[in-house]
Amino acid sequence: MTRFSIFTNRRGASPLALIAFVVIVCLLFAFPSLVESPYSRHIMVLLFLSTIMGESWNIIGGYTGQYSVGHAAYFGAGAYGTMIVMNASQFDADKLLELQDLAKDSRLSSLLLSAHDLHPWTGVLVGMVAALLLSLIIGSICFRLRGPYFVLASIAVAEIVRITVLNLADLTQGAEGILISTLPPLTIGNTVITDFSNNVPFYYIGLLLVLLTIFVTWLVQNSKLGYFFQAIREDQDAAHSLGISLTFHKNAALALSAVLTSLAGSFYAIYIKFVDPTTVLSLDLSVQIVLISIIGGIGTIFGPVVGALVLVPLSEVLRSNLIGESLISSGMVNSDSAFGHFLTENLSHAHVLIYGILVVVVILFMPDGVLGFFKSMVAKKRKEAA
Amino acid sequence: MTLFLQSLISGILIGGVYALIGIGLTIIFGVMRVINFAHGDIMMVGMYMTYFLFTLFGIDPFVSVLVTIPLMFVFGAILQKLFINRILGALPQNQILLTIGLGLIMSNSMMLAFTSDYKILTTSYSSSSYRLAGLSVSKPLAISFLITVVITAALYRFLMKTDTGQAIRATAQDREAAQLMGINVKWMSILAFGIGASMAGTAGALISPTYYIFPQVGSAFTLKAFVITVLGGMGSIVGATLGGVIIGVVESMGAAYISSDWKDVVVFAIFLLVLLVKPSGLMGTSRT
Amino acid sequence: MAILEIKHVSKFFGGLAANSDVSFQLEQGMIMGLIGPNGAGKTTLFNCITGYYPPSRGEIVFDGRRMNGLQPNKVCKLGMVRTWQKVRPLAKMSVVDNVMVGALCHTNSLKKAREMAMEQIRVVRLEHRTDFNAGGLPIGERKKLEVARVLATQPKLLLLDEVMGGLNPAESEEVIQLILDIRRLGITQMVIEHDMKAIMRISDRIVVLNSGEKLAEGAPGEIVKNPEVVAAYLGSE
Repeated sequence: MTRFSIFTNRRGASPLALIAFVVIVCLLFAFPSLVESPYSRHIMVLLFLSTIMGESWNIIGGYTGQYSVGHAAYFGAGAYGTMIVMNASQFDADKLLELQDLAKDSRLSSLLLSAHDLHPWTGVLVGMVAALLLSLIIGSICFRLRGPYFVLASIAVAEIVRITVLNLADLTQGAEGILISTLPPLTIGNTVITDFSNNVPFYYIGLLLVLLTIFVTWLVQNSKLGYFFQAIREDQDAAHSLGISLTFHKNAALALSAVLTSLAGSFYAIYIKFVDPTTVLSLDLSVQIVLISIIGGIGTIFGPVVGALVLVPLSEVLRSNLIGESLISSGMVNSDSAFGHFLTENLSHAHVLIYGILVVVVILFMPDGVLGFFKSMVAKKRKEAA
Repeated sequence: MTLFLQSLISGILIGGVYALIGIGLTIIFGVMRVINFAHGDIMMVGMYMTYFLFTLFGIDPFVSVLVTIPLMFVFGAILQKLFINRILGALPQNQILLTIGLGLIMSNSMMLAFTSDYKILTTSYSSSSYRLAGLSVSKPLAISFLITVVITAALYRFLMKTDTGQAIRATAQDREAAQLMGINVKWMSILAFGIGASMAGTAGALISPTYYIFPQVGSAFTLKAFVITVLGGMGSIVGATLGGVIIGVVESMGAAYISSDWKDVVVFAIFLLVLLVKPSGLMGTSRT
Repeated sequence: MAILEIKHVSKFFGGLAANSDVSFQLEQGMIMGLIGPNGAGKTTLFNCITGYYPPSRGEIVFDGRRMNGLQPNKVCKLGMVRTWQKVRPLAKMSVVDNVMVGALCHTNSLKKAREMAMEQIRVVRLEHRTDFNAGGLPIGERKKLEVARVLATQPKLLLLDEVMGGLNPAESEEVIQLILDIRRLGITQMVIEHDMKAIMRISDRIVVLNSGEKLAEGAPGEIVKNPEVVAAYLGSE
């Protein structure tokens, strides 16, 4: 057993790995000035988003071993919190009058009215608080259950949240969703940091959030909390007998994970500028959040990064239909033929297919994820060499 | 009063189909201790099968059940042999993820093949109904309920009276003991998954005249199947039957008396309540 | 002075009594042997004492404090900790990390916890395994790891549930020495064990359970001569 890299879940990073990490981070900060294309930045933003989601889930799922398949609820809390407040801050006089009228009968409308007076960016905070409260409620229900029953309960609660958001249309605009045409500039005091005229600011926000989640995970791993989380993951009863409060630590892990996930939701919302229940609160999203860590390798700092690096490019190739379009534009396939039609119409809809195939392959052949698989390959090679 | 009876009847009718979905899930869980998250997607495959049997060959959906049952059985048996069999001893989380992955592959393959457009299977009787003492009873639902009853009864008979059925039940009760008694538990697992899949597929066939058919229709039914089986007690066939009917009635009463927007919340709330208060379900015995 | 008092403890599951009206005391620093045929209710009693479930009747007083209804983590913090009949290593964590989890019961500093853990690892002689994954250890070392882990919680009273089960004679002998070493540290122990020779050697006093009831209590020499105990054992074998 060697402790040679920061890729293990042990303490102590080798200087080499630390240098590599710093170099990569520096390169990432320089990336927008090195590569001009907005599309490449878009891909990076998607990569960051997946990483943030994966790292956040990893704290409760990977480190604490509680497989929440309801994280869309926290993602949605962040996304909706941000959008509702931001949207409300942009109401015009007509809309306000209309709301004042409605507010007499509807508490939700009066809530919306008071949201109008908030600073547009406080929505992010609102989302975090909502996710925190939600996690405490969900934790108090679901943590009485173990194993598969916990998974089922987490799904059920997230579904209740989705249906509730769908039906509180006065506040959330229901199935229609909330669309924002322009983002208010991000300011500190009177200094405008950015007015979001291109996608560079999103790149940096995403990168900072990635670093934040990695830092939080590192902190957790190198603290008493992290030891207790992992002890609970490995054996609840043994952990309990060694003086660890299960209720407190499970809820703490979930709360931390929920708040970080809500940040991912907020980031998504301001980047896409549109939220609706099917995109930010669905079971499919919850599953995708879980798969990022599973595919990369759970319970490690860089597992979710690897998961995102595997998943995002693959599903983006399918989504943007790079294969189909290149085949057609190169003249190999006629776009009017049945196969051409298949490539342009059907293939792009099926980008989640890759998630399904990957998770089956990972569970069957790489139970410790892609990262764990390569780690054990390296270990094997070393053994053979020795 | 009419509203009450009306909701009760439609609840029971749809509950029959739910029971079928629940029975499939509960048999799989009983024999293998695997919670099948691809259950709704298997049902979706059954729906598409029925749709194409109808549009291409003109086979009536209720007649096509005769084709769907064996085909879906084979489909399930293959799934078990190729995938589920390899993770029987794995962590429950990994089993769940594998079946989630299989479900994603099924729904997205369907999307790949047929796009995500809604398909509607319209038969001559799709929207017709019987009038019965002032109540209207949907014809396709009534027929599907009758078929459900026949299939469930046949399945009970198979499990209770035949040697193979008893072997399956023995495996469900105690896998190791069954193995020691000379029961081929591997074969029983394949059988159980086959039966589970064919029940789900049949349920898909039966509701296809009254539901939209699209690749992602499955996940809603997967959730419903969990609620039904947990309510009845994981592994209990009687429980799943009862759970199916209860959920059918709760949904239809919820839609009638609360609002159709919130009926699923009622269902999930009951689900959580059962999980917390009596996790072994109505008919289940608690296992430690 | 009695460190642990079991007063008329009963535990029912449904209508079945796993323990009924069991009473005895442990004196500070002693080794108490708890024996009895399979299904006599030994592990159930451990579970009641350490808070896994509350006793249906009776009282458990540890260090002058009533323990009924306290959760296992609280019980551990107060200085009473148990091992498991079926070992429960934190499989994907290293040996030292396993023991550190125990040490973190009383400190917030990882550095200090590591020092404390290393100390206990030396006590059970597992130094050569410090960085190994706990899941990969052979059974004998797992049992030692279990002991090191509970020692790291700085207990006043240790409850050992068949720490010699499944070990070969040489390994058992090591564990016996370990138990005697622990006594020298001033830690009181209650030991469930099937190996009669071993239990007679290490125990200061023995309690015999049969069908959930206390059958006999006394020094090892008295217990072997007790006709009821002999009958219970012969009858059940």
